[in-house]
Amino acid sequence: MRAIYKRELRSFFNSPVGYVCVAVLLALYGFFYFQVMAVGSTGMISWIYSTMFSFSMMIIPIITMRSMTDDQKNKTDQALLTAPVGVASIVLGKFLACLTVFVLASTLALLPAVAISFFSSPPWGEIIGYYLGTVLYGGAMISIGVFISSLTISQIIAAIGTFVVAVALMYIDNLASVTSNAVFHAVVGWISFNTRYNVFTQGIFSISSTVFFLSVMAVFVFLTARRLESRRWN
Amino acid sequence: MIEVRNLTKRYGTNLAVDRVSFTVEEGTIVGFLGPNGAGKSTTMNIITGYLSATSGEVLVSGKNTLDEPLEVKKLIGYLPEQPPLYMDMTVKEYLNFMYDLKKVKLPREKHLQEICQLVRIEEVYNRLVGNLSKGYKQRVGIAQALVGNPPVLILDEPTVGLDPKQIIEIRDLIKRLGKNHTVILSSHILPEVQAVCERIIVINNGRLVADGATDTLSHDLSKDHRLLLRAEGPEREMVHAIRALPRVQEVISLGEKEPGVFEISIETDPNSDPRRDLFALMTRRGWPMMALKSMDLTLEDLFLQLTTSDNAAVAEEYGDEMDHAELLQGGKDR
Repeated sequence: MRAIYKRELRSFFNSPVGYVCVAVLLALYGFFYFQVMAVGSTGMISWIYSTMFSFSMMIIPIITMRSMTDDQKNKTDQALLTAPVGVASIVLGKFLACLTVFVLASTLALLPAVAISFFSSPPWGEIIGYYLGTVLYGGAMISIGVFISSLTISQIIAAIGTFVVAVALMYIDNLASVTSNAVFHAVVGWISFNTRYNVFTQGIFSISSTVFFLSVMAVFVFLTARRLESRRWN
Repeated sequence: MIEVRNLTKRYGTNLAVDRVSFTVEEGTIVGFLGPNGAGKSTTMNIITGYLSATSGEVLVSGKNTLDEPLEVKKLIGYLPEQPPLYMDMTVKEYLNFMYDLKKVKLPREKHLQEICQLVRIEEVYNRLVGNLSKGYKQRVGIAQALVGNPPVLILDEPTVGLDPKQIIEIRDLIKRLGKNHTVILSSHILPEVQAVCERIIVINNGRLVADGATDTLSHDLSKDHRLLLRAEGPEREMVHAIRALPRVQEVISLGEKEPGVFEISIETDPNSDPRRDLFALMTRRGWPMMALKSMDLTLEDLFLQLTTSDNAAVAEEYGDEMDHAELLQGGKDR
């Protein structure tokens, strides 16, 4: 697992992909920071993080799109699958590499808050809440993205598929509000990532939400491993 | 060392490998021969655990690939048809990655250096894999299979894309490796298999069609045992005299090939060798022998015969070949 993790992470930063993903996110954070602080003349730094959250979700498909597709296309999966490592560690290595890139970007995005802290005291509870929520939500999204990339050998399809799922998960709550069907509401309530995420944004550390996101990651890492395994049987 | 039992692989309705069974003893080099699409790669992919079989089983060193996949994978070094290379890594990074991936315990620097010397890639050690020529990529692929020094090597068309000099180098390398490894290599190039392998397994349309030592395979499988003689002397007398020899069944003159020199086909009893009698006869009678060739099928003929139903074409082809070869030989003798 460690070998694969190291290789994947290195390949992110050997190519422009890793730098572009991190740089674009940070540039956007910087822009919103400027806008909210200077133009908006408000001290509500958490606004930045709530706006940026949706942007970071858009970056995730780019991070995950090549995780499983490249190996299949370049036949390097033959080296991985015939090496004495289990499929689960292959998937986990790749998942963690994607997650690392995302966490790196999210962590660097705390810089504006750190800058503020020299002059006043920002609401750290909320900010840390946003940070944790984003990392957990992002982790769950990445596991879904990795799974989708294992279904196809086309990076484009993997990226678009993940993008659609990301958008759908963000707006599924709005969809529920247009109907009055109780069952539909209940189902949406279960799968809604947003309600789980919103708890964190109030500066509350919710164990049930944490467990929910971690479970989503585990399920999709497991599904991806099954998917890899099933290719052997085709 | 490797035991394959009733291996079957089905892709949908397409039967890629059909009840293939064979065993490979430790320390032998086995050639897997067959036309493209015969099921060579599929069989190799199953042995290495990349694919799984529809039915049948594979045991490596007594361990079942399904029960103990990781243990089996540790024993095998695999070079697939397309070397599994990461183009964005240098050779050094790539081999180190494979070293980590295979959880090798040998001293890292020394081991990797040895491999690079063996397959001659030291001069490209710090270059990006993506920028290497096809020959070098192939060699890095072989290097990758050698990482961890696994006792079993499975090489799928190892000399594809190499130039003739490199091909000879790699063949020598495989031969050297064969001294302390069990090697299965696939190829559709016959001279290669003939040059390197001790044993040949011919596979066609997913079926195992022949299996035997390289030398004996062609002898055992050819149905008729014929000698082709070219000698100077009176045609009819020669035919009569030869027909009178013991263990000779049928003698036919094929006509005059050079001035005064006739070609004679001699069919013998199976598993008998009348060549010494023939030589004695010809010298006694003062008929110079210009050429004598055993008509055992060459591997090439055998291959064609096994993999095509059109046997007539084969017979014709090797009649022609004989003409050219023997003429050259005759010229040299004089």
